[in-house]
Amino acid sequence: MISKEIIKYSIDNLRKRKTRSFLTIFSILIGITTIFIFISFGMGLYTYVNSFVSESSADKVLIQPKGVGVPGIDKTFFFDEEDLDAVKKTSGVYEAEGVQILVVEAEQNNIKKFVFMTAYDPERPLMLEISNLEIYEGRSLTSSDRGKVVLGYNYLIEDKIFPRKLEVNSRIDVDGKSLTVVGFYDSVGNPQDDSNIYITNDYFEDIYPENSDKYDMITARVDTSDIDRVITNLEKELRKSRGLEEGKEDFFVSSFGDLFESYSTSLNIIIGFIVLIALISVIVSAINTANTMITSVLERIKEIGVMKSIGARNSEIFNLYLFESSFLGFIAGVLGVFFGWIFSLVAGNILEGLGWSFLSPYYSVELFIGCILFATITGGISGVIPAISASRVNPVDALRYE
Amino acid sequence: MGELISLKNVWKIYREGEENAVFALRDISLIIKKGEFVAIMGPSGSGKSTAMNLIGSLDVPSKGDIFLDGHNISHLSESDLAQIRGKKIGFIFQQFNLIPNLTARENVMLPMIFQGSDEFEREKRAGELLKLVELEDRVDHLPSELSGGQQQRVAIARALANDPEVILADEPTGNLDTKTGEKVMDFLNKLHNQGKTIIIVTHDPNLAIENASTTYWLKDGKIDKITKKKGKNKIVGNEK
Repeated sequence: MISKEIIKYSIDNLRKRKTRSFLTIFSILIGITTIFIFISFGMGLYTYVNSFVSESSADKVLIQPKGVGVPGIDKTFFFDEEDLDAVKKTSGVYEAEGVQILVVEAEQNNIKKFVFMTAYDPERPLMLEISNLEIYEGRSLTSSDRGKVVLGYNYLIEDKIFPRKLEVNSRIDVDGKSLTVVGFYDSVGNPQDDSNIYITNDYFEDIYPENSDKYDMITARVDTSDIDRVITNLEKELRKSRGLEEGKEDFFVSSFGDLFESYSTSLNIIIGFIVLIALISVIVSAINTANTMITSVLERIKEIGVMKSIGARNSEIFNLYLFESSFLGFIAGVLGVFFGWIFSLVAGNILEGLGWSFLSPYYSVELFIGCILFATITGGISGVIPAISASRVNPVDALRYE
Repeated sequence: MGELISLKNVWKIYREGEENAVFALRDISLIIKKGEFVAIMGPSGSGKSTAMNLIGSLDVPSKGDIFLDGHNISHLSESDLAQIRGKKIGFIFQQFNLIPNLTARENVMLPMIFQGSDEFEREKRAGELLKLVELEDRVDHLPSELSGGQQQRVAIARALANDPEVILADEPTGNLDTKTGEKVMDFLNKLHNQGKTIIIVTHDPNLAIENASTTYWLKDGKIDKITKKKGKNKIVGNEK
């Protein structure tokens, strides 16, 4: 039984011991704020990754070099035309495309920047589908486009890549060649993709003949009904075309499901680890809360005696103290969620400004309620031992206590 | 008048069985009738506080039986005792023992909460009781904003909250000046006249003799003598 007067009594007691209540709340709050921030960002990342899997990328596989440097920088590894043909002929593959990636020097008014250039076949824009790229302004490339490029979203922002933003039909110098911008892709949320220059593979090979028929990765659209079998087939065909023995592949084939899984696993580990640290801090603060409550019991031992003498049962004294510590936890939860929310909003905005919009927090009602509930329960659990000791106070001794 | 409280061969021994056992009460037997005004007298160490704790069902005896309203309460659980106290006994303490951060009204309401009365009833009764002790203009004051006498009157109102049969007052005037003490005693006498059983525990013989109809004099844990007031104070018997 918790009545209005008992609630008032508890809250007044917490208010009377302002500093101590504040410190106790603060100690729980730190953990809750941390948990809230990391779970909201973690959920944001899951949502981001999920959007790839659920959309057009689900039926694509990616064939990439294994254990070699970054595509576009390390040129010792490549897939050739024969490899691409092998992929195309593999059973379960509907279509395949070789993607060329190169680091190029882009220039505007003597300001030079190194960025990635991605060359693809406009007839089979599998690469764009994987990245969920959609035109934001202008148009996408066609096979006949020569000397034309589509740029990532960041070129539309002043001071992001170049001091002045570029527009449709403006020109950009790439490795000394002046190219016309025909369109811009919408932001995908990571700085590398949003700074890309996209070009047709035909024109790419014209201006970089030394890179012709050398693909940094191959993308393929496949039969999704038995994707594992398709992957096994692809590995077999590529081993044959590259003359490699089983187990000594210099490439790997991954479906988006795999990518998502490995991405989620590492994400789970990182977020799990941080949340674990935050949980430890919550446990420490729970011990701190228990300590505060025990002190509070000792300070009010005479009041407990008085309450018992006027008819309070042990269970009522127990409830009273349990309520107090749960209330401390509840306040810490509400404040922790509030500060976590403010912090993640601000951090999300800053990260978006930096072009990292994939790192944006995601909020759900469950997260808010869950964090507050968790804090309240933590407070409650910390109060159990003090509440038991309070309820067991002998009224005769307590009344004599000075 | 019927029996309200009776102690039958009650012993209270602290650290029983040990070498330094303390015999706080030794074989006490007494009967308190409904509507009586009883005083338990004695110097410190005489066992009067222990007797009060047992009569007030704050404690249970080591040996012997205590009957309250015909029920043996010597072997009840703490929670059962708490319920009985809340319903049948109203305590008044020397130190007033009000809850410091509750107002006068809330302090009076507290015993009713433990008996589960509803909020409307609690507020109404608390208001009436504070009016009875002439503190209707102080209902929303905290104990720290009240004088000692006023605090003790709040304590009287609180003791009456659940309309108990017995008011048990431990040195009720001990912390008050003579005049305020007299006022508090006037209230207790008024309650006695309304039919309440009053038990006061005191070391002040004047307080006992002037007010109580029966006074039990305790010495070394035993009843040394019993005085009854019948017109004039007269010792009617000695008991061991």
